[in-house]
Amino acid sequence: MTTDNSGANHADTPQDGFLSRYVFNTNHKTIGLNYLWLALFSVFLGMVMSLLMRIHLAWPGMHLPFLSSLGNSPERFAALTTLHGSLMVFLVLTAAPQAGFGNYFLPLQIGAREMAFPTLNVLAFWATVASLFGLTTAFFLSPQSGITLWIVSVAIFCAASLLNALNFSVTTIDLRAPGMTLPRLPLTVWAWFINAILGALIFSILLAACVCLLSDRLLGTHLFPMVDFIANQPAGVVANAVPILWQRLFWFFAQAEVYVAMLPSFGLITHLISTFSRKPVWKERLVVLALCGVGLFGFCVWGQHMFSSGMNPFSPLVFSLLASSLGLPATILLITWFGTLWNARVQLNTAMLFALGFISLFLSGGLSGVFLARHDLAAAAVSDDFVTGHFHLVMGVAATFAILGALFFWFPKLFGRRLNEPLGKIHFWLTFAGVYCVFMPMHWLGLIAHSRVSPSSAVVPLAAAGSPIHTFITVAILLTVFAQGLFLINFLWSLFRGEKVVECNPWRATTLEWSVSSPPPADDFGPSDPMVYRGAYEFSVPDAAEDFVPQHLAPEQVAKIHRSGE
Amino acid sequence: MPGTTAVPDIEIIVEDIGGGGGGPTPPPGGGDDGDGSGDDRNRRRKWSPSPKRYSTAIAIGIVSILMFFMALASAFIVLRRGSELWVTVHLPRILWANTCILLASSFTLESARRRLFLADDSGFRKFWRMTTVLGFLFVGGQLIAWRQLVAQGVYIASNQASSFFYIFTGAHAVHLLGGVGALLFVSFRKFEKAKISLPAAAEITSYYWHFMDGLWIFLLALLYLGK
Repeated sequence: MTTDNSGANHADTPQDGFLSRYVFNTNHKTIGLNYLWLALFSVFLGMVMSLLMRIHLAWPGMHLPFLSSLGNSPERFAALTTLHGSLMVFLVLTAAPQAGFGNYFLPLQIGAREMAFPTLNVLAFWATVASLFGLTTAFFLSPQSGITLWIVSVAIFCAASLLNALNFSVTTIDLRAPGMTLPRLPLTVWAWFINAILGALIFSILLAACVCLLSDRLLGTHLFPMVDFIANQPAGVVANAVPILWQRLFWFFAQAEVYVAMLPSFGLITHLISTFSRKPVWKERLVVLALCGVGLFGFCVWGQHMFSSGMNPFSPLVFSLLASSLGLPATILLITWFGTLWNARVQLNTAMLFALGFISLFLSGGLSGVFLARHDLAAAAVSDDFVTGHFHLVMGVAATFAILGALFFWFPKLFGRRLNEPLGKIHFWLTFAGVYCVFMPMHWLGLIAHSRVSPSSAVVPLAAAGSPIHTFITVAILLTVFAQGLFLINFLWSLFRGEKVVECNPWRATTLEWSVSSPPPADDFGPSDPMVYRGAYEFSVPDAAEDFVPQHLAPEQVAKIHRSGE
Repeated sequence: MPGTTAVPDIEIIVEDIGGGGGGPTPPPGGGDDGDGSGDDRNRRRKWSPSPKRYSTAIAIGIVSILMFFMALASAFIVLRRGSELWVTVHLPRILWANTCILLASSFTLESARRRLFLADDSGFRKFWRMTTVLGFLFVGGQLIAWRQLVAQGVYIASNQASSFFYIFTGAHAVHLLGGVGALLFVSFRKFEKAKISLPAAAEITSYYWHFMDGLWIFLLALLYLGK
C-alpha cells in the first residue's frame, strides 16, 4: 500500500498532453467515464455475439462470421458462448454499475474530492482493459493456449476488481464529508460500499481458483484432475468427489458474483424511484439492512456450499434454504419500492421507466428463481434453457436496465446535456417488450427439453413447438438488438447535440453531486468543502419552499428560502 | 465499520456558518461569504483525504488476502480428505529454522517501532534494517527448502501434496516480498515529502508483517497436520 502511495504524489502535479490526460489521469471522474466507455464497447460486442448464437440456433445452416470461417465446430460455438458470458458478466455487469458509475459518483455523493487511492484506481482500470484484450484475443487462439490466456485474463480482472473493492470501501469509510454520517449516506453509496466488501472477499476466491488452474495447465500439477487422472482411480472412489472441487471453487465466486452485479443496481433503482416519486424512500433503514442481507446471504450461499463439499457434497436442504432465504431481502426491497411508489406523483421519464422495468424484470425473473432454489424442482423440471432464461432476465437484463436508468438520470451531470426523452421512451418500450419475448419462451424451451427426456410427461405435445420457439426468440432478439441501435444514436447525438443543461440540478434531486455544475469542476466542489446537514431523501418536506431539501443546504438557508418564499 | 466520525465537527461548523450568514439563495456549498479569509480558502483548496485511509486499507487488504489463502486451504483440505492415495511430503527441516527467523523478525519490528516511539532514530533504523534482513533470510530459507525437495526428486507436479507445498510456500513468499518492499520503502522514503508520516507507515507495515507471520504459522500447521 505504501509503495503505491509514492506514485500518487507524482500524479498530483499538473501535466498536460495525451498520456497524462487520458492514460495516466488519476481523476476519479475520468476513470469512471473510461469504465463506462469500456462497458459500452463490451456490451455491443457481447450483443453481436448473442445475435450470432441465436441465428445459429434457429438456422444452423447459415454461413456466419466467426462461427463458419474458423471452422463451424461445436468448440467454436462454446468459445463464443464463453466470450459472450465473460464480456457481459465481467466487463459490463461488474464494471459498469460499480466501477463506472461508482468511480464517478461515489466521491461526489459523499463529498470527497477524489478516491482514497487514485494511483491504484488508474492501475485497476488499465488492468481491466488488459483483461478485456486478453479475453477477446483468447477467442482467436487455438483452444489450448486460448483457454490459458482466458484464465490469465480472468485473474487480471480479479486483481483489478480487488483493487477497486479496496478503493471503494476505504473511500466510503474514511473520506466522507463532515456531516455525512452513515445514516445519511445515499442508498447508492450503501450499495457500492456493501458490494465492495463482498467483492474484496469473493474475487480473492476466484483469483485463488485461477492460480490453481494455471498451475495445473502450466506447471503440470493435478489439483483439478483431468479425465485421465480420474480414469486411473478405483471406480467410484474419487471420480465422484474430485472434479467437484473446481465447480465448488468457481460457484463460491459465481453465485456471489450475481449479487455483485445486482447490489449496485438495487441501490441505483431505489435512488431513482425515490427521486422521481418525489417521496422519501419508504423504510430507508430497512433498505440498508436488506442490502446488507443480500450481501451476507449471497456470500453464505457458497459458504454453505463450501463446508458441504468434502466427500459428501450433499446438504442440499441447508443450501436450498439459504438460497431461498435470499428471497427475504429481495422481498423487502420490492416492498419498499412499492411503498415508495404508493400514492406518489410519479414523474414518468425514461430513467424512471427503466427503474420500473427493472422491478418488473426482477419480479418475473425472481419467480423462476424460486423454482431453481428448490433442489428437487431444479433437478426435476429444469434444463439449460430454463436457467438461461432465468438468469438473463434477473441478472443480465435487469442489471442492464438499472445501468440504462442510471445513465438517463446522470447523463446531464456527466456531459451537461440531456438524452432525448421521446427517443429514450421508444427505446425503452422496444427493449422491454423485446427482452420478454426473448427470455420468457426460453423458460418454455427448458420445460420442453425436459419433456423430451421423459416422454411420459404430460407436456409432450409441447415438444413439437421447440423449433418455432427458437425462430421466435431469434426474431425477437434481432428486433431487440436493433432497438439498441436506437439507443446508440440517441447517446451519440445527445453527446454532441443534446439539449444543454444549464442548471446544476435539473431533476431537483437531493444528493451532493447535484450541488455542483454539470459537468462537475476538476476538483469536484470548487473552493469550499461540502458540508452535509441531513439525510439523502428529503422529498415532499412539508414546510420547504420546494418539495425537496438538498443534503448540502444549511438549516438557516432552508429557513431563509422558506421565509422568502412566503 | 467505523462510527459516525464527523458528528462532533458538524456542530461546531454549523455555528460557524450561522455566524457568517449566507445569502438567501446561496451558491453551492454556501457560507463562503462569511469571515473566511483568502488564507483560509487556500488551506481548504488543498483538500487532503483522511490519513486513516491507510490503516483501513491494510485491514481490508488483509481480510482479502486471508480469503485467498482460505480458498487454497479449503481446496487442500477437500483434496486431502477425498484422496485415498495421498502421498505425503516430508517437510524439510530448514522450515523450522525459517519459522524462527520469521518470528524473530516480528519481534525486531516491534522493537523498531518502540524505538521510533521513544524518538530513538538510530535504534529504530538498526532494528528496522534487522527486520528487513530477517525477511530476506526467510525468503532465502524457503528457496533452500525448495532446492532440498528438488534434490529429493519432489517437484511441484509430483503429487497433490507437493503441489500444495510449492503453491502455499510460493504464494506466501510473494505476499511476504510485498511486505519486504514495504520495509524497504519505509527505510528509504523521504517522509518530509510523502503524504504518509513515518510512524503511520511503520504501523501499517507492522500490521501486514505480523499478518504474514501468522499466516505462515497457519500454512505450516496445515502442511504439517495434513501430511
